[in-house]
Amino acid sequence: MPHVSSRPSITNAPVVIRTKDVSKRFVIRKDKSLKERIVNFGRSKRHKEDFWALRDVGFEITAGSSVGLVGANGSGKSTLLKVIGGIIQPNDGSVERRGRLAALLELGAGFHPDLTGRENVFLNGSILGLSQKQTADYFDSIVDFSEIGDFIDTQVKFYSSGMYVRLAFAIAVHVDPDILLVDEVLSVGDEPFQEKCMAKIREFQAEGRTIVFVSHSAAQVEDLCDRVVVLSHGKVVFDGGTQEGIAALRDSFGQ
Amino acid sequence: MTSKAQERADRLSTLPFQTSISAGGGVMGGFWGSIKEVLAHRELLDLLIRRELKARYKDSSLGFLWSLIKPLTMLLIYYVAIGQFLQAARGIPDFAIFVFAGLTIWGLYSEIVSSGTMSIIGNAGLIKKVYLPREIFPLAAAGSAIFNFAIQMIVLIAATVVLGQFPLSWNLLYVPVAILIVLVYGIAFAILLSALNVYLRDIQYLVEVAMLLLFWASPIVYAWSYVVNSAVVVSHSWIASLYLLNPVSSAVLAFQKGMWLAGSETRTIGDAVIAPQPWPADLDLRLLIVTIVGFILLIVCQRVFQKLQGNFAQEI
Repeated sequence: MPHVSSRPSITNAPVVIRTKDVSKRFVIRKDKSLKERIVNFGRSKRHKEDFWALRDVGFEITAGSSVGLVGANGSGKSTLLKVIGGIIQPNDGSVERRGRLAALLELGAGFHPDLTGRENVFLNGSILGLSQKQTADYFDSIVDFSEIGDFIDTQVKFYSSGMYVRLAFAIAVHVDPDILLVDEVLSVGDEPFQEKCMAKIREFQAEGRTIVFVSHSAAQVEDLCDRVVVLSHGKVVFDGGTQEGIAALRDSFGQ
Repeated sequence: MTSKAQERADRLSTLPFQTSISAGGGVMGGFWGSIKEVLAHRELLDLLIRRELKARYKDSSLGFLWSLIKPLTMLLIYYVAIGQFLQAARGIPDFAIFVFAGLTIWGLYSEIVSSGTMSIIGNAGLIKKVYLPREIFPLAAAGSAIFNFAIQMIVLIAATVVLGQFPLSWNLLYVPVAILIVLVYGIAFAILLSALNVYLRDIQYLVEVAMLLLFWASPIVYAWSYVVNSAVVVSHSWIASLYLLNPVSSAVLAFQKGMWLAGSETRTIGDAVIAPQPWPADLDLRLLIVTIVGFILLIVCQRVFQKLQGNFAQEI
């Protein structure tokens, strides 16, 4: 793939993410209210279902690499991304990481519909770890990138979904992360904007940022990643090069 | 020549690893760790408080006035219904100041607890997607409650000045103590209940009922002297002691002792001579103990929150 070869060479790349025997159990309770719990007390086993979303996942990611996490639906890849991001804590094992982390898990998660675009930029910047001063410095560049223009002082509830996502992405890429976690968000927006996002991701790669990328699109993974981790039923079934990884992913669908 | 990428890699290799298991660190260590984390996000906390305040009255033309209209209406209701119709004002001098003082401090407590309880669920979108110290959400709810409290406090002080009843005495020192107690207990419960509410949605309804009950279990629309007298009449003085076990009752009493000048003086209403309020003799000691217990409670609640928050993202 042409883009992979344009990656800068890093000698002695340090490990930035290290997961050790990470396991995550989900318990699904079918009785949510107090009444149901009292009624079902003592028979609670029947009203509980648990399964392992992740089982003994352990790997290391070195700085500057772009790793694709792939797998069938429900294989645990989004859970793994959340565990790496610290949003969910594992039942077992540990996750260590260093450097500034930004997660593009869902764009615009921190937007408040009643506030204006400008107010949301400052709020969202702060949520993603920028200081007020930094956001103020980047503000013009964020507005430029998002192509929102004069609508920046309009309440975001009046934005079209495209404007919403563009503004959110513009903030996220200005955070200056060392590690970027991306979950399926690159498939939003119109084609020119998608192109722009991809170009930004490549720029990030050239700057030696680490990218962990969850996607269902084999083409995108092939295009962006230099390493693929395939998950199946919460376990790592393959970890290695992109081409072999995609083949392993196809195999895992059959299981 | 070192590239930008190499520079970044070299910088990263000098950084220590952070592990995502934050539940460890012992009770006190974990508590301080969480406080440090919240302090590191104080700009965000500030923005979240502004967001709550701005968003609440964004499209209303009266805006912030609404945060005053509700307590003033309550004052009017209690003044007319309880003060005049039930004639409580005959035994309580400066009844309006008395009621408004009680409503103001109670409003702070009840708003922190009830909006705090909803704060984690209300920010589900953020909690599922971004890692932040989650205590920040109940704290932001408390922050906006403090803002509303400050406005009411200004009105209360202005009223005492206008009526010539500004409580210029050493008793004024009770006011910050009362506010501190209400903040500590309010935030402790807000943190605990916001986490429990994620797992058991009944909590939010339970809180509504409990707040109603606690409102009438504090000397807000009736004076402390009524409780003491009733206990004497039925010759069970333990009732008054039991009543005082509620930390918020102590705080309300302290606040009234500070803000309500007439409560500490002998006044006459018509022909009747009203003796000063029988403030609990050991009020100072009580307040000290209540404060210490409150801080312990806060630490315990925060530790429980910390244990529960690991699963917020899936349980919401």
